[in-house]
Amino acid sequence: MKTKLQHFLRSAGFASCLASIASILVGLLVGLILLFAFNAPFAMHGFRQILTAGLASLDKLAKVLYQSAPLIMTGLSVGFAFKTGLFNIGASGQYTVGAFCALVTVIQFQLPWYLGLLAAMVGGAIWGAIPGLFKARFNVNEVITSIMFNWIGLFAVNLSLNNMPMMLANYWGAINKDRTAALAQANPGGMIPKAGLDELMHSNYMNISIFIAVAIAILCWVILSKTTFGYELKACGYNRNASIYAGINARRNIVLSMVIAGALSGIGGGIYYLSGTAQYTLVKTLLPMGFNGIPTALLASSHPLGTIFSALFISYIQVGGDAMQPEFVKEIIDIIIAAIIYLAAFALLMRSLIGKLFRPKGGGMADKQEQATQAKSIEQEAQNA
Amino acid sequence: MKKILAIFLALVFAFSMAACAGAPTPEPADQPSEAPVTEQKTEEPVASADGTYEIALVTDVGNIDDKSFNQGTWEGVKAYAEANGKTFNYYRPSEDSDEARIETIKTAIEKGAKVVACPGYLFASAVGTLQEQYPETMFLVLDVSLRDLPNPAANTALVTYQEEQAGYFAGYAAVKEGYTKLGFLGGMAVPAVVRFGYGFVQGANDAAKELGNVADVQIKHWYCDSFAPSDDIKTKMSGWYTEGTEVVFACGGGIYLSAVGAAEEAGAKVIGVDRDQAGDSELIITSAMKALAPSVQVALGEFYDGGATAWPESWGGQQTVFGVSNDSVGLPTEEASWRMTNFTVEEYNELYAKVKSGEIVVSNAIDAAPAVEISVDYQN
Amino acid sequence: MSEYIIEMLNITKEFYGKKANDNITLQLRQGEVHALLGENGAGKSTLMSVLFGLYQPEAGVIKKNGKEVHIKNPNDANDLNIGMVHQHFKLVEIFTVLDNIILGVEPNRMGFLQKKEARKKVMELSERYGLRVDPDALIEDISVGMQQRVEILKMLYRENEILIFDEPTAVLTPQEIDELMEIMRSFTREGKSILFITHKLKEIMAVADRCTVLRKGKCVGTVNVKETTKEELSRMMVGRNVSFVVEKDEAKAGEVVLDVQGVTVPSRIHKNNAVKDVSFQVRRGEIVCLAGIEGNGQSEFVAALTGLERMSAGRISLCGRDVSAAPIRKRSRLGMSHIPEDRHKHGLILDYTLEENLVLQRYWQPQFQSRGFIRKGEVRQYANHLIDQYDIRAGQGPVTVVRSMSGGNQQKAIIAREIDKGPELLVAVQPTRGLDVGAIEYIHKQLVAQRDAGKAVLLVSLEMDEVMNVSDRILVMYEGEIVGELDPKTTTVEELGLYMAGAKRQSGTEKEGIA
Repeated sequence: MKTKLQHFLRSAGFASCLASIASILVGLLVGLILLFAFNAPFAMHGFRQILTAGLASLDKLAKVLYQSAPLIMTGLSVGFAFKTGLFNIGASGQYTVGAFCALVTVIQFQLPWYLGLLAAMVGGAIWGAIPGLFKARFNVNEVITSIMFNWIGLFAVNLSLNNMPMMLANYWGAINKDRTAALAQANPGGMIPKAGLDELMHSNYMNISIFIAVAIAILCWVILSKTTFGYELKACGYNRNASIYAGINARRNIVLSMVIAGALSGIGGGIYYLSGTAQYTLVKTLLPMGFNGIPTALLASSHPLGTIFSALFISYIQVGGDAMQPEFVKEIIDIIIAAIIYLAAFALLMRSLIGKLFRPKGGGMADKQEQATQAKSIEQEAQNA
Repeated sequence: MKKILAIFLALVFAFSMAACAGAPTPEPADQPSEAPVTEQKTEEPVASADGTYEIALVTDVGNIDDKSFNQGTWEGVKAYAEANGKTFNYYRPSEDSDEARIETIKTAIEKGAKVVACPGYLFASAVGTLQEQYPETMFLVLDVSLRDLPNPAANTALVTYQEEQAGYFAGYAAVKEGYTKLGFLGGMAVPAVVRFGYGFVQGANDAAKELGNVADVQIKHWYCDSFAPSDDIKTKMSGWYTEGTEVVFACGGGIYLSAVGAAEEAGAKVIGVDRDQAGDSELIITSAMKALAPSVQVALGEFYDGGATAWPESWGGQQTVFGVSNDSVGLPTEEASWRMTNFTVEEYNELYAKVKSGEIVVSNAIDAAPAVEISVDYQN
Repeated sequence: MSEYIIEMLNITKEFYGKKANDNITLQLRQGEVHALLGENGAGKSTLMSVLFGLYQPEAGVIKKNGKEVHIKNPNDANDLNIGMVHQHFKLVEIFTVLDNIILGVEPNRMGFLQKKEARKKVMELSERYGLRVDPDALIEDISVGMQQRVEILKMLYRENEILIFDEPTAVLTPQEIDELMEIMRSFTREGKSILFITHKLKEIMAVADRCTVLRKGKCVGTVNVKETTKEELSRMMVGRNVSFVVEKDEAKAGEVVLDVQGVTVPSRIHKNNAVKDVSFQVRRGEIVCLAGIEGNGQSEFVAALTGLERMSAGRISLCGRDVSAAPIRKRSRLGMSHIPEDRHKHGLILDYTLEENLVLQRYWQPQFQSRGFIRKGEVRQYANHLIDQYDIRAGQGPVTVVRSMSGGNQQKAIIAREIDKGPELLVAVQPTRGLDVGAIEYIHKQLVAQRDAGKAVLLVSLEMDEVMNVSDRILVMYEGEIVGELDPKTTTVEELGLYMAGAKRQSGTEKEGIA
């Protein structure tokens, strides 16, 4: 029994979980300190809001779920690429292009929502494929390409929308044209169905998107851990040389990995903007949802199922943060939320600390060996780079 | 090495997210973000002992320092509440969507708001949804007309302004001052902006007819579809100034910054909007003001003086129009703000009286451009 | 003054109740080369880590010059003039040699680097001990041997008196090994004391004065090298007699499995070809060894042979089929197995579990997947089978993360995987690199067993002993060409050395005469 427990305590999964929880606690602690620093009399009140508001009522919970659905998708996107050794910082651009494709499908072409999501997936996939191709063909670092493609995506979408009068709100009876049409007016069938959940939870936010996101997360987990395809992808991520040695087509896998990552982000964009609540506004800033995928993935140690929980957590904290108004102004709330999420993303660091705590001290020969091999692998990586 | 770099980058971006997270959309007008936290601290709202706030402001996109709608409304709320010892505060929606606005108004109500002030046309649908659900709560919706919200309930008071009159004064003044090449830079073509612009055209036309130089006066008229300054707008304005435009009426949130920027390079002039913007730039010769803060104070006064339970009948379910009749639009006449020499304050006061008396009627139609004799170049 | 400069007395170090060092005593005399011998996992590294301040022992004391000292971290060790050349060098790849040497003890005046003096000192040291280095070269550009010299210079620059060498010869060519031995001797002449960790008996016999042998965490004894033999040392180390001679019967070479004609491979570094017009054959039932000093084109040739790299000319046939342009997977399917030179870079995915690594070449076969889903049960069963058959030791069995396994067992895993694939041709590149005698013996037996089973084996090796003992035919590679074909039974190590060093070569006809 004891050994079983010990075994569990030393298992990687447990370390990851514990690391995430420890990071969250540290983040919350820092958040609390900040609360005291900004407005001490209301600090405990605010902290209680952060911790409880998301569950305080059904409609708040609905908002948590509503926000977490696209976050799960971008988190999956970043995490999936991470697993295969790629850093997909282009989630924002893929998300934007996905949103655009979804909206064009349902508004311009008046097609139903599921085709919108499909288009979002394709759009995001294309936007992810390009940096992947550049990486595979010309060895251009995907970070650079994806950052550029974030901006290209954003401005291409804005430019296109500006020239598609039917897409904009004023075509459908609104007075403003800085945003896309409200789906309720333009195409109610383009909205992701609410399936009665909105009535159940007394919130217009609620629809089935959270279930779509969770299903896709499970699908990602199955692909990564159960299939030969996932085996190949991860092999490429861990050690590209060895996977080439084993006859795996590394280039193809780089592209595929980015295609999938892009598709996931794209669906995220589709889910969010086909909810019927949000309208795409033509602005010149990258959409933060794509970047929020990074801490989401980090907090989950890139595990697809963990991503569901980390996205729910981040969304929960955001909803809780909003409930701190008006005693705390929005800017300060944003600082506090960011601090919590920022520290929560230290899961990797925590993981190594926890690893040290529960493994045999120093770990004997095996650990020594490990240190040595790690040093070696770092050396090699430096050589490769 | 690469891994370390990746993690580092990840953290950098995670952090940079902090900067983005708060701004689902860039606030149209908080560009000059010189509103530090401390400034808000000095405006520390007064809470009642139980942490509730009677008068609430829910912002539209942007913050209470946007030099425009939110700020004007906030000033009105603050002035009234402080003078009358009421508790007050403001709330910002988590994103730019009707759902978020509804959610935030609900939060304000849960926090004890008796009156919720909602500045801006974006609130029409949110208030339309909530007014029945919360009959005890009074909604003060600014810049929303019966057109936008056709069936206001008894607890909803709509307030609009006769921007066409303010625009008229500005256009009249500019031409009387001796300018012949004018420009109108509108933000988004929402009714208020359109009224400003058409009023401006009418004023310029009347002044030209009086001066007898109808053939000389030209107006370029353009909506930039934005309330935020940008290089595109500045480029466009530079083009106008190069082609000879002498003064531009910049009408919409922060876009005046682009016009001022271009004007500085060209040595030309700008006309401000909404508030007295004389302090914002030396080049602003006058401003077409609409008195947001005073109108909010008037509205709040009506509510509290009538027993603080409901709007008086003349307000509830009605659209109240603020204009010359109740001295809520006009040009700033303080010495520091009056930067015109040929057109004097006396002449302005005369004109104002004529409008007030009804001798001059400024059309508030927005469906079609006013028929005028001067040439107007509608560029979109 | 004590007779000993460093004494480690009754050192015990436990990890969770398991004694990695059990009451070990090691006494180092001033001016001697003291070898520390033991198999992988015998506790050598742990003991040295204790001395270097990386671990704190549960029991025992460390004395320097008879005075007890407490070494809590490597800085303390440095202060006591103890320096160490690690098996895996600790160098900054993108720094120059000079920058690496002075790193941490940079001479400065008011915060500004004073490299001139440092350079002078380094050049002096370099000359005095014959440690040839180019101070301005970047670490990433220089050979492994030179990197090691940089590590040694680092110790000398810090004026260390006690020098620890952790398996320094594992990465060196025979010539470089000889040089290193000479350098070590010159250190002892200057009164420096050396602790030399190794499992290569020949080197101990060549350079060490005394030798302490560890086995399974215990001290077996300390002997004077002059009074002992290789056989006795190996018995002490392994606990049984080890045969150094690989026992094998006469080769019965059959049909041609691998036919290489005119293979030319461009170099990655310079403009010339790394492999020039190489032709040979490997038949069933023979072990052909490609011998040569490191960097003479063997790595490039193997890369081209296995498909990791393209060749610019030539033809490769495997069992009669042209695979010159075939992708790696196809070569593998046609019966080529490859034990790669660098097991961490190519051979293993260190973050995968043992079972995942064991199916690395076969996961796509119907046995292990159906409709794209991995058949975990089959994989587990197969892994257990290999673990038993090849005696792979891993803490948690098939689910052990390979990174945590010892080097010898990692190599065993690769060998199990490559052999169990049932290849026609087994390409084994330095399969015993960095392994202890027990493991080496095992691997050699496996290679011979493959030969006897009628497979063709191509062995690429830098170790003279291995070349002479294991192979049936030797091809010597020098500067990308095959300069000689030798029969290990009729040739001598000296002659082989001359070919490897390029001092001797056969003409075309001679080569054919022997073949």
